[in-house]
Amino acid sequence: MTRRDSAVALGADAVLTAQIGTFSLHGDTDPALREVDLRVRPGTLTAVLGGSGSGKTTLGKLLAGWLRPGHSGTLTGSLAQAGEVLEFSGAHDDPRINPSAWSDGVGYVPQDAAAMLTTVRSTVAEELAFGLENRGTARPDMLREVARIADLTGLAGLLDRDPATLSGGEMRRLAIACAVIQAPGVLVLDEPLASLDAPGVILVRDLIGRLTGAGTAVVVLSQAADGLARSAAHWLVLDRGTVTASGPPLQLIRSAELARTGAVIHAVTHTAVTRAPAAVRDAAPDPAPPAPVLELDGVGFSFPRAGGATGEPLLRDLDLTVRPGGIVAITGRNGAGKSTLLRHFNGLLRPQTGEVRVHGQSIAGLPAGRAADSVGLLFQQPRDQLFERTVLREVSFGLRKLFGKESRARAYEALESVGLSGEAGVHPAELPASKRRLLALATVLARQPAVLALDEPTVGLDRHGLEFLHRAIEDSAARGAAVVMVTHDLGYARVNADRVLELKGGRLGEA
Amino acid sequence: MPSTLHPLTSLTAAACTAVITTAAGFWPLSLAVALAAAGLAGRAGVGRRVIAAAAAVLLPLGLSLLMLHGLFFPEGRTVLAAWGPARVTAEGLAFALESGTRTGSCVLVLLLFSFTVSAPDLVAALAARGLPPQFGFVLASALTLLPAMAGRLEAIRAAQEARGLVVGGGVVSRLVAVRMQMVPLVLGLIEDSGSRAQALDARGFGSPGPRTAYRVLADPPVQRRCRAVLLVLAGAAVALRLAVSWPAAGLL
Repeated sequence: MTRRDSAVALGADAVLTAQIGTFSLHGDTDPALREVDLRVRPGTLTAVLGGSGSGKTTLGKLLAGWLRPGHSGTLTGSLAQAGEVLEFSGAHDDPRINPSAWSDGVGYVPQDAAAMLTTVRSTVAEELAFGLENRGTARPDMLREVARIADLTGLAGLLDRDPATLSGGEMRRLAIACAVIQAPGVLVLDEPLASLDAPGVILVRDLIGRLTGAGTAVVVLSQAADGLARSAAHWLVLDRGTVTASGPPLQLIRSAELARTGAVIHAVTHTAVTRAPAAVRDAAPDPAPPAPVLELDGVGFSFPRAGGATGEPLLRDLDLTVRPGGIVAITGRNGAGKSTLLRHFNGLLRPQTGEVRVHGQSIAGLPAGRAADSVGLLFQQPRDQLFERTVLREVSFGLRKLFGKESRARAYEALESVGLSGEAGVHPAELPASKRRLLALATVLARQPAVLALDEPTVGLDRHGLEFLHRAIEDSAARGAAVVMVTHDLGYARVNADRVLELKGGRLGEA
Repeated sequence: MPSTLHPLTSLTAAACTAVITTAAGFWPLSLAVALAAAGLAGRAGVGRRVIAAAAAVLLPLGLSLLMLHGLFFPEGRTVLAAWGPARVTAEGLAFALESGTRTGSCVLVLLLFSFTVSAPDLVAALAARGLPPQFGFVLASALTLLPAMAGRLEAIRAAQEARGLVVGGGVVSRLVAVRMQMVPLVLGLIEDSGSRAQALDARGFGSPGPRTAYRVLADPPVQRRCRAVLLVLAGAAVALRLAVSWPAAGLL
């Protein structure tokens, strides 16, 4: 049987099949994918699981036509969609994929949800309608579809908002909605639950259930064997660009292949005991608690609205005290103001009322660049944190001022602590998303700040990445730093933090 | 605050005002138009941005006009002061005043338009009149490029400040900061545009065939009539100017 015949046979009841011998990106010597066979049937959920750098994103983009054979790399093998089989031999006369036509059948939502948006649309509704406009959908149908999809994705209340002002979780839901509205037969979702709050997770899982129920094939790419992945009919385990195991979840959940790839395997229920508070762990006999490292006293903040008016307060009369070695986790709904709160710690945002103190000193008159000597901030999106040309330059930025001649050693030490010392010369944009986040973490750790403010540090990290993060947090707390992390991963927060607080109505309360 | 006028009405009004002012060549009118534009910008809440942008364009231009025509105007007869070959003449100053106010009024009117027009409205209005959507997208990208670059610069500055960059109030400190932000800005914009192109392709942007529009704009008849009147007035002003200034006009 020829490859083409086998593809046709395999694709008899499949809406999308891929038989990849090798796929190499232009400029790379090693193939990014080898020996990957995937068959997706209508109305099913397939999970592609793998750790950082396993090739999930490359596979997803190749399936969806975001990476095109010939244009972006060299493919040997075949891709088949809706009965049409395209054979690739890596030669110049290989067929060409028309991304626009291909995307009618296969939709893709990238890990970086913002990359999905046009940036020129002024409202969420218009952003949603973009794909329909390009297909010449009649306006009454378009209005109806926008309303329906907004309803399904929880965006109905945000239709008039400027997409640029959405929070991370809202942006992800919009990106998913933009793909769903085009009604593709196959939908490939890269880490669809990243940055979503608990209601957002339920909403997206429900949406995926509805889509598969209506006949859409959904492929989820994930670092975690979480609840969504467990509801899949079929798993594909990817490791270093190749499939090491495939089959139903029950068969693979305890497999050595899954463990080896670095995927995070969530417990079905979180039975872990909350981490003991610092004072209990140390069993300190000293009755007087040490002086706080970080204090927020009556902090109030609201973003200005157009025309100079002040908007609804996002933070109101907010208090927070963190002592040396304390680890505080902050949870809350998407858009509750968690990232805004962290940006107050180092003066990137200034409170309209109240005060922020580090080591008892107010940072009110201090430029953000000086407050940064004591406060390290991990941004929610690594793309907002990284701006240099190489990994080493990135982590070295600003260190000379703090450590003088020792700065180079500190930079390498920080890279070592997140497992990136072998990639010092790589461009940060060439790293997989998980390593980009670890690099961003290294830039914070290298400064050895008294306060670590971490915004969604677990998102996109595989098991190895989570171990690096865990060690970094423990080591920082052990040397007396105060750690404040924002996270939607309540299980992680309970296991790793002394206190879990919820930001609600602009104030912090026990979660 | 975006204008409530149909974007083509404000575009026609701005363009016709610029044409009529230029054709009139009468500095009190130019000054009045410039002041009116500044006043309208103030009312629309964009006064400071319009004045700042106008100053960036007009100050170097005004200085060069003064240098060229105020000091070296060959046709000048009434000498007010002289330093060697440089002569300040009344005619030269009058010419500089005329050119300066005329350019100033045009710049202010066009800036008022660009700061108050809603880019999505303008693109929708042009698309509704048969403009290719790709052109509309490029126009919208161009109109939103400055805010997008400002947003990206802001993110890079925040990332650098979070790692110890102190941006002081002084010019030198700001220039050093700008130098450090330029390379990441340009590289970031290039990287963004690459991934954006993939997303646009996937959302059917490159597909042939007819397109529809989600955004619809009200175009009241009164505004359509207003645009027609403005175009007639602008045409008449140009014709009058040509008739008056044509070398043969004196012979008729």
